[in-house]
Amino acid sequence: MTFQSNQQWHVKEFPGNSLAMPNSALLKQSLAAICLVSAMSFLPVAESSAANHIIRMTAEETRNDGFGNKLMAYKMLSHIVDGADITGRYSHDATIPGPTIVLTEGDKVEITLENAIPGAFTHTPGVSKQVSLHVHGVHYKIDSDGTLKVINNHDDEGAGDGLEASYKDYHYTWDVAPGTAGTWAYHDHNFETHNGAETRGLFGAIIVNPAGSAAYAKEYVLYLGDDAFWGMEIDGASKQQSKHGVNPSLSAAKNSDVRFHLIALGTDIHNFSLNGYKWFDPGTNKLINQAAIGPLEKHVFAVKAKGSTQYVDNNFSNKLMGMTGQFIVK
Amino acid sequence: MSKNIFGIKNPAPMLAALMLFAITALISPMALSAVQSFNITAKTLPNGQLAYALGSDAEAVIPGPALFVRQGDTINVTLTNTTSAEVGFSVPGLQDKGKGAANALPGQTQNYTFHANKSGTFVYHGNGKEMLGLFGALIVDPTSGPIDRYIDDNGATVPVAQADIDKQFVLFMVGSTFWGTEISGDGTTQKPLWANPNPGAVENDIVRFHILSVGPGHTFHLHAHRWFKTGTNATIDVKLLQDGTDTHSFTVKAGSGVGAGDWQYHCHLVSHMEAGMHGSFKVAPAGGSGASVVGASPYGRILLGPKDEPGLVTFEVSDEPASWFRSARGDAIVGLRNKDVGLTGPDEDKSLDIKTKSLEVIAPGSSVNFVMSDTNGVHTISSLLWPSGAAHMPFNQTTAYRGGGIVKLDTPGLYVFTCKVHPFMFAAVIVDDPDTVGLDLGNPAADYKIDLVTGIKGLPTSTDLAVRLLKTFFIATAPDNWQDYSTGHWSVKFPTLPVRISGAPFGNIASGGLAAPLSAVLNSDQPIAFGSKPAVPGVGEVWVNTQFEKTAGKYKPGTITVVDASNWTVKRKIALPEINMNNPHNMWTNRDQSVVYQTQWFDNKLTLINHADGKLIKNIQVGYSPSHVMTLPSTDDVTIANNGEDSIMMMPAGTSYVFKALPTQAAGQSTAHPHGHWISADGSKIVTPNISTGDVGIYGSNGGIEARTPTGNNAPGAHPVAIGMMPDSSKIYATNLLHHTLSVLDGAGNLLKTVNLIADYNPITGAFADNDGNGKIAVGVLPIQTPVAPDGKSMVIASMGGQIVVVDTSTDTIAAMLDCDPGCHGANFGAKQGGGYYAYVTSKFSNRLAVVDTDPNGDGNLSDATIAGYVPLVTGGNTATDDTVSRLPGFGGQGVLAIPNVYNGWVQNLPETWKSGLTTAQRDPIGH
Repeated sequence: MTFQSNQQWHVKEFPGNSLAMPNSALLKQSLAAICLVSAMSFLPVAESSAANHIIRMTAEETRNDGFGNKLMAYKMLSHIVDGADITGRYSHDATIPGPTIVLTEGDKVEITLENAIPGAFTHTPGVSKQVSLHVHGVHYKIDSDGTLKVINNHDDEGAGDGLEASYKDYHYTWDVAPGTAGTWAYHDHNFETHNGAETRGLFGAIIVNPAGSAAYAKEYVLYLGDDAFWGMEIDGASKQQSKHGVNPSLSAAKNSDVRFHLIALGTDIHNFSLNGYKWFDPGTNKLINQAAIGPLEKHVFAVKAKGSTQYVDNNFSNKLMGMTGQFIVK
Repeated sequence: MSKNIFGIKNPAPMLAALMLFAITALISPMALSAVQSFNITAKTLPNGQLAYALGSDAEAVIPGPALFVRQGDTINVTLTNTTSAEVGFSVPGLQDKGKGAANALPGQTQNYTFHANKSGTFVYHGNGKEMLGLFGALIVDPTSGPIDRYIDDNGATVPVAQADIDKQFVLFMVGSTFWGTEISGDGTTQKPLWANPNPGAVENDIVRFHILSVGPGHTFHLHAHRWFKTGTNATIDVKLLQDGTDTHSFTVKAGSGVGAGDWQYHCHLVSHMEAGMHGSFKVAPAGGSGASVVGASPYGRILLGPKDEPGLVTFEVSDEPASWFRSARGDAIVGLRNKDVGLTGPDEDKSLDIKTKSLEVIAPGSSVNFVMSDTNGVHTISSLLWPSGAAHMPFNQTTAYRGGGIVKLDTPGLYVFTCKVHPFMFAAVIVDDPDTVGLDLGNPAADYKIDLVTGIKGLPTSTDLAVRLLKTFFIATAPDNWQDYSTGHWSVKFPTLPVRISGAPFGNIASGGLAAPLSAVLNSDQPIAFGSKPAVPGVGEVWVNTQFEKTAGKYKPGTITVVDASNWTVKRKIALPEINMNNPHNMWTNRDQSVVYQTQWFDNKLTLINHADGKLIKNIQVGYSPSHVMTLPSTDDVTIANNGEDSIMMMPAGTSYVFKALPTQAAGQSTAHPHGHWISADGSKIVTPNISTGDVGIYGSNGGIEARTPTGNNAPGAHPVAIGMMPDSSKIYATNLLHHTLSVLDGAGNLLKTVNLIADYNPITGAFADNDGNGKIAVGVLPIQTPVAPDGKSMVIASMGGQIVVVDTSTDTIAAMLDCDPGCHGANFGAKQGGGYYAYVTSKFSNRLAVVDTDPNGDGNLSDATIAGYVPLVTGGNTATDDTVSRLPGFGGQGVLAIPNVYNGWVQNLPETWKSGLTTAQRDPIGH
């Protein structure tokens, strides 16, 4: 062993090694050099670090297509951060996508999920009526995996009647530990089968910011589904979440720094572009203008809003289906 | 079976010795550019899959042996091929020394040299046969310094040297299956974990994962762990592996920050999740064993399998007629003899007459695996029937996709799988309880009964319906059982396999069931006469998709057979070898009838063909598994139902590109998978039977969903497959393939009536009687194409069970039943010379076209409906061809199109030259 076990890797120590990456200082230099791409803006950070979040959500039936076919959606019931109620920043309705939960490395989350889907507590052998929260990225113990016992060998970890266990609501503990910064999906893993209903509306995201990091004028969370984008917008100042739905028109003030959080879900592999814009491939100093994204991958990038354009999935069938939306810069 | 056919030939100690094999010590950190030599042997496994072994004596394994080298090394591979197929060895992404790959014919040895010019993880594979098991990992580590890094529970990034690694796992993502190997930290010992294993570790072990893929892409996700995306500082827990070959190696500290547990790993593509593509990373608490649980093995408990461990059979998903789900050892299955199933004695070498390559036999607890290795289309792997009470049934995929499926079968009995997009693709797996006499066709614990996907539960396997289903399987999957009119007789021979069913046929349920050769239940040998050609000619031509006909100049099946309706001869065969035309399924023409649009149902292409000379105009991508094509009578724009997807593709008239996809469902709703659509005579509405969602959809031809109406009395898997419409668009007819019904809707999509097409059939005894009291004994088993005559007075339903049902559209009742050939499928109307119409009806498993006259005397009473005659679909003396028919002549009849197109709305747009052959009434079918 040549190196200390907790030593950071960077380019000076391993010249020529493909694993090595520039450190953040180098990254910032490159950032400053390229005007197309946003430098960090330095709005104040809203949440203090090491906060305790007490969250209550529910899952409902929603969005009838007019012919009796329904989807499901999560709804924020309450979100208390260190005693402060921030529930007002979320929609009052169950939304697709579900609430975006913004966290900071070092936070702890206690989150309870209820099940308001009709028939959730009617036992049907071999069919799970549970809904759950399976979260990506952060730390949690096996009882917060949000899966069925056939998968986790521990418990049916959701609200409603599972294959073996039934819970009126289910409580999850997430440890937003150091090293978990990033944007991560959460989704159901238990509805009907052990695969859950992540493609039937039960999905959302957490954004884990490093402590003390910059804020953005707007944050856009865009989910790449098999036939459409689902998305929402978060105002950087008010933190208000809005514009939930299919192929939303996203808005930005000219020259403001905005951040896109892309998460794919479903079956298709996508090829995303924001026409006319370039951004850094996450974790590198390489500029790109399109990104291949597979289901449950995330892709987060920031740009300076210079002009209006479209975001689009270039997957053959999805593009023809009109899987695109407006990015309106005023 | 009384005799244990899941042979355990190797004694246990030998097994253990084989499980672990050491590879030569490859780790030589001092050497900067060594020469590494590997002797690799390609072998055939007991289940028919192919695999690599290191050396000639070692057990061949999937994935192949992981090869560890250092950056700068030169690698010499000597490949010996002991299989019966041409196989290869290549390493995409590394510098080779000229040849690009080693390719060895059976019995040959070939050399291949390449240079590990960069570090990383690379796929080596069989250069054409990789999807069957010829793949492995080549890991090129840097010559010095750390080989990886991980994220500790406190967020620190920790470099990893070789010596830090406690264990390594290779997980190959292929089709919809993980194939695993456990490797010691130093790379010196390797143990096959086979299919969908549960790799194990102890909490805080440093574990390096090598995730690789060949074939269609995947995303890999491991619960509760996170790691770096290779070559970046991005922290991820899901990684895309792109189509083709791709790799991703990463290191984790097992249970870091999350503790012990069974942490699921899986592909995160929903179709692959539904396909069973998952396992668990079992992280034991400190002090635990951390042992891995081995998955399903090609050497395990399957028919003639050599080892006493959970076994695996594999079906290749193919575009090849009859062998759509082909056991990897299909040729051996066809050749099985009595003694192979434990029947010894004087006849022990006698053939079991299996004929199908789509049948497998396994022990309870073994698994069945499907891999889409030989197809250009998308499919689902879906249960059609299973033993009553079987766990985890039905197996289903809501969305068709590329990949495969894997499922463990615990309950004895017969399981039949199909593809919902192409519902004549069949695989049968008998899970046999070794304690019963005969192969169990039903669940021994439930009187050998089966359940069907449409909701029928507890059907005795001795009933007529069960026997008919078996017959359908053995005909569809064995061309020897097809109705070939050149032979003069139709001999359907069923295997002499000893089976166990619910009791004596038909319908007697006896405790303990009845053991008998399957051939005693099912066998027929009857003379068949071709019949005569229709006395009255038709107008123009009849284009028939002989979808299974094979020609010498291309690999994929299918031709268009053009019949001259003036003399009922085959005028032309169009195979289009230059584009390897694949399973041509359905056609339509443009207004002036100069261009024929042809779908390739097992592909993603629409083909434009010059009507006059049968030559290719253009072959264009339109999306997966395009089934039917029609024009809008209003604009001549082309509409294509993408059966494997979720839309109707639109192509503007006169162009050759699709410019828009009309979604068949609202955003986020289950994929409809539309099949045989129809269009209203004014061109304003497109109506689709949505096979996956079990409904009829009505869509504006400019977009918009106007109605979604469930059909088949909401039975699960009713499978609406084809649509007909009245010429004035006042009614819509949809056939429900697996529900054996006809749904009648008004023009707005309101359900008016559901006509039971098997009311006159007793599924237990097989007796036919006028149970519905309509004065006719008539049934339509497995109804498919259902066009309404251009004048709206009659409708025909081509039924796969071998019937043509004639329906009186004034009352929506069955007027007559006519015999059809096995696999009866396609139907469309054309003009009869001098007035009236013919319905042209095709059959998949015969090679003649039936010409139906629904009202020979034109009196409006359809009870005299008759088959006016037959037309052979084989090449004749004056047939123009672009390729040579090599096999299955004239078979596979599906889509059929009469030219000129005389449907109301289209006939009015014909050029005068085409109208001249039509009567006044035919030129304006409902307006004159």
